[in-house]
Amino acid sequence: MMRPSTTVFSLVLAVALVAADPSIVVTGQLLAYQDGFVFFTTGDGFRVAPGVVIRDAKTGAATKLSPAPRIWARATFDATGTVTELDLSRAALPPEGNFADVMRFAVAASSPAPNPDLLAYQNLATPAPGGGLPAGVSYSGKPVLVTFIVQVPPTTPLTSSVYISTDQSAWNAQAIPMDRIDALHYEITRRYPSGTIFNYLYDRGSLQSEEIAQNGLSRKPRKFVVPDADVRTVSDTVYAWQDQVPGSINQQQPQIMPTPYNPAPFPNLPPNLPPPQPPGNKPPI
Amino acid sequence: MLILASAAARAQTTPTTLLYLNAKSINFYYDRFLLEADGNVRLRTSDGFTVTGDAFSMDLKLNRFLVAGHVTVHDASGTVSGAAISDFLDFKRIYFVPVTSVPDRWTFLNGDLVHPAKGRVMPDDAFYFPPITTKPDMTGTGAVVGTKSYVRFIGAVAYVGGVGIPLGSNVISFSSNQYLAQNSLSGATADITWQVAGSPNALTALHLRYDPTYKVYGSVEQHFVGDHEYAILSVNPATRAEKWWNAMLYEKLGSRFQIQSFTQYYAQQNYLQEPRAAQQTTWINATYAFPHSYVTATSQLVNYNVLGPGSLEEPKAIGGNLSHPSFAQITANSFQNKIANLPLYENIYEGYGFAHDTVGSQQYLNGFAQYPQYPPVQVPGLQSYGALCAYQPPTKGNLQYFCPTYTTIYNTVLGFNLFTPSLKLNHPDSPYQQYYFNASLNKQRQWNSLPHYIDNTNTTLTISRQPSRSLHMYAGYEIQNIGDHYINGGYEQCTGPGTTYCPDSFTSFRGVATLRTTSFGFNDVPSPDFNFSLLVRHHEDFPIPVPGLFAFPANNILGQPLYSWWLGQPPYDATADVRFKILPHTLADISRTLYWYGNPYRAQYWQQNFVIQLLPI
Repeated sequence: MMRPSTTVFSLVLAVALVAADPSIVVTGQLLAYQDGFVFFTTGDGFRVAPGVVIRDAKTGAATKLSPAPRIWARATFDATGTVTELDLSRAALPPEGNFADVMRFAVAASSPAPNPDLLAYQNLATPAPGGGLPAGVSYSGKPVLVTFIVQVPPTTPLTSSVYISTDQSAWNAQAIPMDRIDALHYEITRRYPSGTIFNYLYDRGSLQSEEIAQNGLSRKPRKFVVPDADVRTVSDTVYAWQDQVPGSINQQQPQIMPTPYNPAPFPNLPPNLPPPQPPGNKPPI
Repeated sequence: MLILASAAARAQTTPTTLLYLNAKSINFYYDRFLLEADGNVRLRTSDGFTVTGDAFSMDLKLNRFLVAGHVTVHDASGTVSGAAISDFLDFKRIYFVPVTSVPDRWTFLNGDLVHPAKGRVMPDDAFYFPPITTKPDMTGTGAVVGTKSYVRFIGAVAYVGGVGIPLGSNVISFSSNQYLAQNSLSGATADITWQVAGSPNALTALHLRYDPTYKVYGSVEQHFVGDHEYAILSVNPATRAEKWWNAMLYEKLGSRFQIQSFTQYYAQQNYLQEPRAAQQTTWINATYAFPHSYVTATSQLVNYNVLGPGSLEEPKAIGGNLSHPSFAQITANSFQNKIANLPLYENIYEGYGFAHDTVGSQQYLNGFAQYPQYPPVQVPGLQSYGALCAYQPPTKGNLQYFCPTYTTIYNTVLGFNLFTPSLKLNHPDSPYQQYYFNASLNKQRQWNSLPHYIDNTNTTLTISRQPSRSLHMYAGYEIQNIGDHYINGGYEQCTGPGTTYCPDSFTSFRGVATLRTTSFGFNDVPSPDFNFSLLVRHHEDFPIPVPGLFAFPANNILGQPLYSWWLGQPPYDATADVRFKILPHTLADISRTLYWYGNPYRAQYWQQNFVIQLLPI
C-alpha cells in the first residue's frame, strides 16, 4: 500500500513531466509533403512520424485537406525532431512558435556552406535613383513614400497636365497624374514597396507628347529602384516635349490663311464676312 | 517599310528565357503580375530543362519562379527528384531541394546543372509563395512566358466583374520596352483590346472600339519593336468602308541620329475591294544631335487623290483635287544655357521652310467646311488665298472663292525662350513660409513670303508657396500677344458694327490679339491616396469674347479642349479635380470645368462631361 507521501510525490512528478513536455509547435506554409518529410517554405525538410496525426487547424477534428504546397500547417515536433502532428488550413495561420527552435531538426545531406552572394551585399547601401539592383540584394518590401518632382520646359502651358508613364502600367500615358506646384514644377507622391524597380518617362497625356532628351532625340526611360527608406524624393528635369518641337507631327501646319488662331476661328460668322483678303480684287503683290 | 519592320523584329538584344507551362489550372493576377498554377505542373524552359511538380508560382516582375511538391528536374544529364526548385532568372541562380535518401540543398550557378554547390545557404525567400487574397483576372490551361516581356495564355478566360470571357489565345505584355505602347490608332470613346499574339518584340492586337463617327467597329494593330526602332502598322476602322491604314516607323542610328515617319493612307472601300477614293499623307522627321544643339528636318506630303482625276466618289465622279500639299522645314535648336552667373536660362531656335499648295483639299474637295450644305465645287487653280476668282459658280449665292496667288509660301522662324529657375523671395525660418518666383518669356516671329508675318510673345510670372506639407498654392499672370500681320490686306473690318456678329472690339480686330490670364492654383494632397486640386482663371482678352460668336476648339477623347487657349475663350473658368482610392490598386480621377462670362453676358456652361479616369496605383 502506497504511503500518502509517496502518492503526493508521484503526482508532483507527473505534473512536472507534463510541464516539461518537450514537444515544439510552429506554424508555417508547406512547400511539399513527400518521401516521409514535410517541407516548409523556408526550404527546410523535417521527418514525419509514420503515424502522424493530421487535423483541421481550426476545429481540431479530422480534415479532408492533405498536406500539399500552399497549405498552412501547425506542426508539432517531438523531442527527437520528428513531426507528430500537422494541423492544416487553407488560410494563413497566426504565427506560433519559432522556426529557429526547430532548425536543428531540419534534415540535409550536406553541411551548410556560406553563400558569397548574400555575404557580399549584407551591408550594402540602398542604390541611388537610376541605379540598378545588384545581384543578391534583397529589400524588405516595406512601403516607401516616393515623391517625384519634375521641372518642365518653360513652354509648358499653365493648363497642361503632366503624367508619369511607367512600365509597371504598360506605359499607359495617363497612369500617374502629377500636380502643378508652380510655373515650372509638378509633383506627385506615391507609395511603393521597397525593392520595386521601374522605368518611367514624363508626358503630357499621350505618347505623342512624351518628353524628349535635351538633344532632341527620344530619350531612354529613366530607371528607379525604390530604396529601403522611409521617404525618397526624386528630382528630374524635362527639357522638351515631343509635340512642341518645331515640325512635330502634332504641330499645326500652315492652313488656309495661314492663321495662328483656332483652325476654324469664325465658323459662326455669316457668309458676308469673308476670310482675310487683300483690298480690292488684286493680289497683295 | 516591310524591310524596316522585319529589321525591327530581329533587333532584339535582351536575352529572354521562354517558359512553357501546363497545369490543371493556371491563374494570373494582374495587380501583382503573379502567375500561379496547380495540379500536374509541367514546365519546359528554353534554358534546357524540364520540371514537373504539384504547384507553380512566378512573380513576372521579379522574374523568378518556383515549382514545389514531388518535383522532378530533367535535363540532358538525367533526372533528379526533389521537393522544390526555384529559379532566380535575373541572377542565374537555381535553388533546389533534392530528395534522394534524405533532403539536401543544392544551388546551380550560372546555368550549370551538372555541378551543384551543395549545402550553400539560400536566400530566405527562395521558396516563398506570395499571399493571394483576390480572385484571378485571367485563367488558362497553358501559358508561354517570355521573361521580362510577355505571357501568352492558351485557353484563356478573362474575368471582368466576375464574368468569364473566353479568349482562346491572349497576350499580356509587361515589357520595359516603351515602344510596345506606341499607338497608331486615332482616339476612341471606348476601346477593348485583345492581344492575340506576341513575343518579346512583336505584338498583334485586335481592337473593338466605339466613337461617335464610326460607332462600333473593329481595328487591327501590329507592333514590331527593337531596342532602338519600331514599326507599327494598323488599319482603323477595319470593319468600315472608310479605312485608315497607318504605318509608324522609327529608327535610332547611333547616339546622335534618329529618323521617324508616319504614313496614313485613307481608302474608301468595301472589304479589300477596289477603293472608290484614296488619299495619302506622309510625315517624315529626322533629327541630328550636336553637343550643344540639334537640327531637325521635317517634311509632309499629301496626295488627296491617289486614284487620279475623275475617280473620286464613283459612280458620280467629280474632278477631285489634284493638288499635293507639302511642306518642309529645317530647324536648329540650342540647348538650355545659363546666362553668365545670372539666375536666367535661354534657348534659341531658328528655322527655314516652305509650304507648297497647302490649301487644296479644304477649298476644292470639301467646299467650305463650315457650310456643309454646299457641295464640293471644283475651282481651277491651286492656292485659294488671294484675289477674288474670275470664275464663280453661278448658283452658290454670296459664297466667294479666291483664285490662286501663291502656290508656295516660304517662311523663316526665329524665336527664343528666357526663363528663371525658382527664385526664393524671402528667407523665413520655416520652409512652409517660403515664397518662390518664376518667370518665363517666349518670343517668336515667323516671316512668310505671302507676304505675311506672325508674332507670338508669351510672358508668364508665377509666385508659389507650400503652406503645409500637403498644400501647394500658386498665383500666375500670363500675357500672350499674337499678331497675324498681312503686309497687304488681311483681316477686314466686320460689317454691321454693334450687331451680334460684329460686337464692339471685334470691329477693330485686325488679326492682333492680346490675352491676359490671371490664374490661381490650389492643390491638397493629404495622402498618396487622395488629392484635390482647383484652378481658377480670369482672362482679359482682346478681342472681347462674345458667347456664340467664336468657335470652341474640339475636345480630345477625354472631353478636354484640344488647345490651352483660343480666341474667344470665356473670361472665367474653374477646373476642379479630385482623385481618390477606390480599390487597393486603383484611383478614380474626376474633373470638370465650369466656364462663365461676366458682364454683360452672364452666361455660363459646364464642360460637356465629367472627365472620369481610373488610374493604376
